[in-house]
Amino acid sequence: MTMKIKVKNAETGATVEMELEPENTIDEVIESSAGFWGKDMGAYVLRRGKKVLRGGSNLREAGVREEDVLELIPDPEGG
Amino acid sequence: MVDVLRVGSHDEDRFDRSRRIGWLDLEAVSRARVLVIGAGAIGNEVGKDLALSGFRRMTIVDMDKVVGSNLNRCLFFSSEHALSGRNKAEVVAEGIKGLFPESEPVPVVSRVQALPESVFKDHDVVLGCLDNIEARVHCNSHSYASGKVYIDGGMEGLMGKVVVARPPDGACLQCGMNRSHAKIASLRFSCTGRDVVFHEPRLPAEITTTSVIAAIMVREALKVVSGKHEMIVANAVYYDGFRNICEELEIPLDPACPVHVRT
Repeated sequence: MTMKIKVKNAETGATVEMELEPENTIDEVIESSAGFWGKDMGAYVLRRGKKVLRGGSNLREAGVREEDVLELIPDPEGG
Repeated sequence: MVDVLRVGSHDEDRFDRSRRIGWLDLEAVSRARVLVIGAGAIGNEVGKDLALSGFRRMTIVDMDKVVGSNLNRCLFFSSEHALSGRNKAEVVAEGIKGLFPESEPVPVVSRVQALPESVFKDHDVVLGCLDNIEARVHCNSHSYASGKVYIDGGMEGLMGKVVVARPPDGACLQCGMNRSHAKIASLRFSCTGRDVVFHEPRLPAEITTTSVIAAIMVREALKVVSGKHEMIVANAVYYDGFRNICEELEIPLDPACPVHVRT
């Protein structure tokens, strides 16, 4: 059963709607959305509310539900 | 014996204004041993904040030398340091000593991975001011295994973050990493260094974000050594300088994280 969620780009405020299976992983959502916006190679995290979602977990395990809005945040590694 | 109060005497005390912060344990700050890994942009600012906050015992670790492109954001570096190829760790230690002559900063010119494991146990808190995931993962896991709080800072342009890992409970830095981190783990997100090859990324970097991130790191270190554990970030702060947003997020513990599987 597919579900629709939105992913928001923290850097631009833009959003993209994604159609996903509950078995899709957070890693896949990060890669797809970062690729959609043509982001540079770098580290990113996906948040739902105040929590950072675990990359290897799938959407069901992460508690992601239909209509949720997740946010893609750059995880800066420079020092 | 009667105490004698002299007019203006509190203005002679370097830390008079710090003593007025109720929760701050200046004696504990003075005794604490702090390990600073990385003496680049964040390391410079962290060194400044540690010195002005009253930390005395610091070890500064970095293998790199100062170059000209450091000078837009590194307080202690000068053109002369760049021209003469001075070691960053030594220059930062000298800068700290200049700000706070009673401090005892010890520079170590080395990769952190080459240091003995005991170096983590020998300090009370570890501040990661690094530019690559590989070294971050090393410091995170060794700090956790040594039972020491690890405070990690990172920045790119106007974006920054601070993660605080507090063993023996709670998530660590690596719990929040995913496949996008793994893909870039071996790259150094630096602007300098003779061993940074040409195809590795040079990131946008400026002083205002650096200052914010370093300030959060040192403030959390002050809370750690003052025993104010209920005030410590749990467990990540993300900073967005475009919108001036600073937000605390939770990185949940990952039971499959190598750091926690091992401990």
